[in-house]
Amino acid sequence: MALLDIQHLAQFFGGLRAVSDFNIQLERGEIVGLIGPNGAGKTTVFNVITGVYMPTKGTIVFDGQNIVGRKTYQITQAGIARTFQNIRLFSKSSVIDNVKIAYHFHMSYGNADAFLHTRKYWQGEQLVDDYAIDLLRLFHLDGHADDLSGSLPYGAQRRLEIARALATKPKLLILDEPAAGMNPAEADELMEMIHWLRDKFDLTILLIEHQMRVVMGVCERIKVMDFGETICEGVPEYIRNDPRVIEAYLGKGA
Amino acid sequence: MTFLRAHRTIATVIAFALVYVVIKVLNLVGIFNAYYIQLIMLAGINIVMTVSLGMVNGFTGQFSIGHAGFMAVGAYTSVMITTVWLHASVANPWVGYPVFIAAILAGGLLAAAAGYIVGAPSLRLKGDYLAIVTLSASELIRTVIRVSSFLGGPRGLGGIPKFTNLEVVFVFAIVSVVLMRNYLFSSHGRSMKAVRDSEIAAEATGINTTRQKVFVFVFSAFFAGISGGVFAHLLQFIHPDNFSFMKSLEYLIYLYVGGSASISGAMVGAAVFTVLPELLRSLQSWRMVIYPLILILVMIFRTEGIMGLKEFSFILIPQRQRKEVSA
Repeated sequence: MALLDIQHLAQFFGGLRAVSDFNIQLERGEIVGLIGPNGAGKTTVFNVITGVYMPTKGTIVFDGQNIVGRKTYQITQAGIARTFQNIRLFSKSSVIDNVKIAYHFHMSYGNADAFLHTRKYWQGEQLVDDYAIDLLRLFHLDGHADDLSGSLPYGAQRRLEIARALATKPKLLILDEPAAGMNPAEADELMEMIHWLRDKFDLTILLIEHQMRVVMGVCERIKVMDFGETICEGVPEYIRNDPRVIEAYLGKGA
Repeated sequence: MTFLRAHRTIATVIAFALVYVVIKVLNLVGIFNAYYIQLIMLAGINIVMTVSLGMVNGFTGQFSIGHAGFMAVGAYTSVMITTVWLHASVANPWVGYPVFIAAILAGGLLAAAAGYIVGAPSLRLKGDYLAIVTLSASELIRTVIRVSSFLGGPRGLGGIPKFTNLEVVFVFAIVSVVLMRNYLFSSHGRSMKAVRDSEIAAEATGINTTRQKVFVFVFSAFFAGISGGVFAHLLQFIHPDNFSFMKSLEYLIYLYVGGSASISGAMVGAAVFTVLPELLRSLQSWRMVIYPLILILVMIFRTEGIMGLKEFSFILIPQRQRKEVSA
């Protein structure tokens, strides 16, 4: 059974058809790319999956459960974590706190333990501190654990956002333009990291990306959107040579 | 000293006990008269009010501007219990203090209930709705008190037994601030800051932001209610206009001048700006000129308040040594 199964998804904003009849099945362990020109509806698809928008039509089945109509935090708790196109860190919190916040719903102590700092609180804090520092170490951020996250360099902020998403212990990770603003060397590193993430954390990954080199290098399957509709789907070699894709990106007669 | 550095909690308790002893001695020697002691007690109450307001405005990033309304709920509730319903039994201090404590707790709970009624619908929304709702709610509470003759109406309520003394304020302020500080330095406190920094990202990391916001708002109202009870049993006379919008505004000023995202800042703001205007009594009519002037100057030179994001070391939770980090 597919981990994520989206059928006939449509999202209208008034008269604007942001997404129409979108279908996708993600098998466990796959890395799938979603590409298309600006305004094609890629981020809208992400926002619908994560419950930011309520879809006009269609079903989204994740891990056997229909998640349409659930709140964003419930969807995250069900196992879908995301990063944002424009980085959204908790900039006034420390680097390690960013990761700990994402672990919050796994924490076992309640409000009363928080007020009274009971034994349960100290055990929980020790556990989350170990967990967070181990995770940061994997992303080479442990040296900055107590710095404000807003003060990190750009590339490190991108890595922290991924680390934070992983702290929720997701089954599906969705990345919105992870290579945005990266130079070729950083993008190469990112490609390596995405493969490593999938194997290390047993993930399924869905990503939006504009840098074709990254998409072609990392994705096993690609879906191309334009004006809210899927125009093509297949392996990278097939997508690269498809006339509809070339037309969508470069225009007719190119 | 090394012992004290290792046991910061004990050091803090000793420090506060010393402050108390110094004030008490200065009082007994006659350097601090009853007026100064009253001022110190007011500062203690204002510290709790400001720190609890900071939980909502500074750390959760919401904008509540009617904090005095919850104080009024707590004040009137506790006074109704100690003065109107149980006035006979409070003459004996052995009965009086338990009744007083039960009364201020009841005031806190009722204020928390009022906080839930105000917060639950408005905190579901993102944006500035909370400001409008809290402003109207606090004025509504004041107006209801004004027209309710059993609450004394516009004449106010007098004859309140003076249960609040220096010891009560010390215990009350320290316990309240410690509880709120504990909450802030917990997983739930980190979630509050996450809501402040980015509500969308907080939701995306699995935090039920609405529930977190409502809970903080409710316990903030609870502490405001208790402060109201302590306040009423200090002044011995309460009037609806004690809890007007100007009162709420004072707490906002204490908070933002001191530093909204810092418990220490809220404490400094409340303490300094409770005492300062009283020391400048001779300039009474200029008080409202000096206040905004200070605000403007702080906003220009210290945008994040006097303390910014910093905390006094006794506020912070001692960090344990992490495992050795390999380079």
